[in-house]
Amino acid sequence: MHMSDALLSAPVAIVADVVAASLLVAASVKVKKDSKENIVPLMGVMGAFIFAAQMLNFSIPGTGSSGHIVGGILLASMLGPWAAFLTLSSVIIIQCLVFADGGLMAIGCNIINMAAMSTLVAYPLVFRPLMKFPAAGWKTMAVSMLACVVGLELGACMVTLETAASGISALPAAKFLMLMLGIHLAIGLCEGLATGVVLMFVGKSMPSLLHREESKRPLNRAKYRKVLIGFGIAALVMGGLLAFFASSDPDGLEWSIMKLAGTPDIDAEYTSLFSQGTATVQSTTAIMPDYENTFSGIIGAFMVLLIVWAFCSLLMRRKTATVNPANGGNEPREGSIE
Amino acid sequence: MSKTEKVITSLQGMGYSSATPALHPVAFLLVTLSYLVCMLSVPVGSLSMLLWYGLYPIVMSAATGCDFNRLFLKSLVALPFAALIGVFNPIFQTEGAFRIGNVVISRGWASFVSIIIRAVYSVQVLLLLVMNGGFIGFCRSLRKIGMPSVLTTQLLMVYRYLEVLLQESLDMSRARKARGYGKRNFDLKTWGTLCGQLFIRTVVRSQNIHRAMLARGFDGALPAYNPGGGVNKVSFKDIAFMLICIGVFAAMRLFDFSKIFSM
Repeated sequence: MHMSDALLSAPVAIVADVVAASLLVAASVKVKKDSKENIVPLMGVMGAFIFAAQMLNFSIPGTGSSGHIVGGILLASMLGPWAAFLTLSSVIIIQCLVFADGGLMAIGCNIINMAAMSTLVAYPLVFRPLMKFPAAGWKTMAVSMLACVVGLELGACMVTLETAASGISALPAAKFLMLMLGIHLAIGLCEGLATGVVLMFVGKSMPSLLHREESKRPLNRAKYRKVLIGFGIAALVMGGLLAFFASSDPDGLEWSIMKLAGTPDIDAEYTSLFSQGTATVQSTTAIMPDYENTFSGIIGAFMVLLIVWAFCSLLMRRKTATVNPANGGNEPREGSIE
Repeated sequence: MSKTEKVITSLQGMGYSSATPALHPVAFLLVTLSYLVCMLSVPVGSLSMLLWYGLYPIVMSAATGCDFNRLFLKSLVALPFAALIGVFNPIFQTEGAFRIGNVVISRGWASFVSIIIRAVYSVQVLLLLVMNGGFIGFCRSLRKIGMPSVLTTQLLMVYRYLEVLLQESLDMSRARKARGYGKRNFDLKTWGTLCGQLFIRTVVRSQNIHRAMLARGFDGALPAYNPGGGVNKVSFKDIAFMLICIGVFAAMRLFDFSKIFSM
């Protein structure tokens, strides 16, 4: 689900970055204030654990393919939602910077889609109200599956929304949403299965870990009722928006076939309300290029790139011949794999 | 080489830049961000404007002493996902964008190529950023631009323990493989037990680490370790570099230099 920079327009990416940064600051303040004992080392090592656990694949029964854990719900049930959000965000940041998995501008989107949706939405609204440790195995399994599916599906919705708002991909939003929801339902079920198995194991062998969060559970349920009502209203609003989405573009494929057949209505090139909004923002900031005679321009720019590249690589060759070797100045640290 | 081994290999040497970084990490971060904002705001169909942004990774890799060819190959990692999303554009956008002789190239193909180029450029500048100051340098610059210490401490902790835990999961994976009679993946029950074990070992380890840290005067935030002194203050050179880069990116965004060739 890692989004790359290429799929986002600058305004969408910036807005998501600002939202994610504010969430991170809020989470940091919350963690600092809430944790009596120092939770930071545990968070750090847990982040590394999620990374390491992702390297262990399990086989999905009956399909022949394999899956791995993502970890939002698992982290939240041990650390609490805010600390889990911070931990998962740090994993996403490291994936971006060290393994180029997802872009730097898209990091805000990725944090919102993957970390916030599972730890700040699915965990407090689905997992926590339904689950009370210690619980029977089947219940742990069912609730983890439900929470993971909700978290991932919300993330998939967000990916679609951000892509549609960016208006870079021409794939109709409704089709893309259907595709994403289908894929992530399967992924969510596997993720939930894995989370349930690990939670059951931890519940048996080190139950004190689960009690850390359990002890913070407020006694009155009125607070949750309020949250649930809020969530219901939000769902209605979202539903309305999605319906609007769907009705403004009833069937993307038919629409595009109509266009292929030569209907004059070519202006309706953007499919959603959101992308129209960002497109107008873009058109006010951009000097729109005329598309008629730019091929020579493209060739020109490309030639300049080639010349500069050739020049720089000549320069580099001379430099490496005189200075030193490998690795762009980064010497590997000691220690080998074997 | 297994996936875990590959990850461990790419981790080694990523975090610490042995030489003093050529530029202040904060300056580099701000320049990279402004590059991305300008590059990503170029209209999708405008290939000629976009191509000019390729100059920055080429010039910067030469300036910071890293091999552009390697950088280019590494940036291809972004291709599959970008291609997967972009591949629909040629299907849906069929009106003409420009001509090569008598052949009309559709908007869809132009935007498809544009998505690919954006993906490659953004990964290249990201790699350059990390190669310049290392991951630790990045954390220091985050701290300097005002992100809370809890976050940077968290990032540094994850980064430091990543290798240790990856090694542990690699050991487990190998042990399982050696006893698995050719089975490639774990069945869910075995996987659950192994993952749970790894988890509990992790927690015990974190408690030991925390005690050791407290014994050494840990006050809630890790100082971002700065090997060899490094650069601490933003120098005149850094400010000049920032201003020039941001100016050039903005100019590339506002004027289409390719017009020179179209005249």
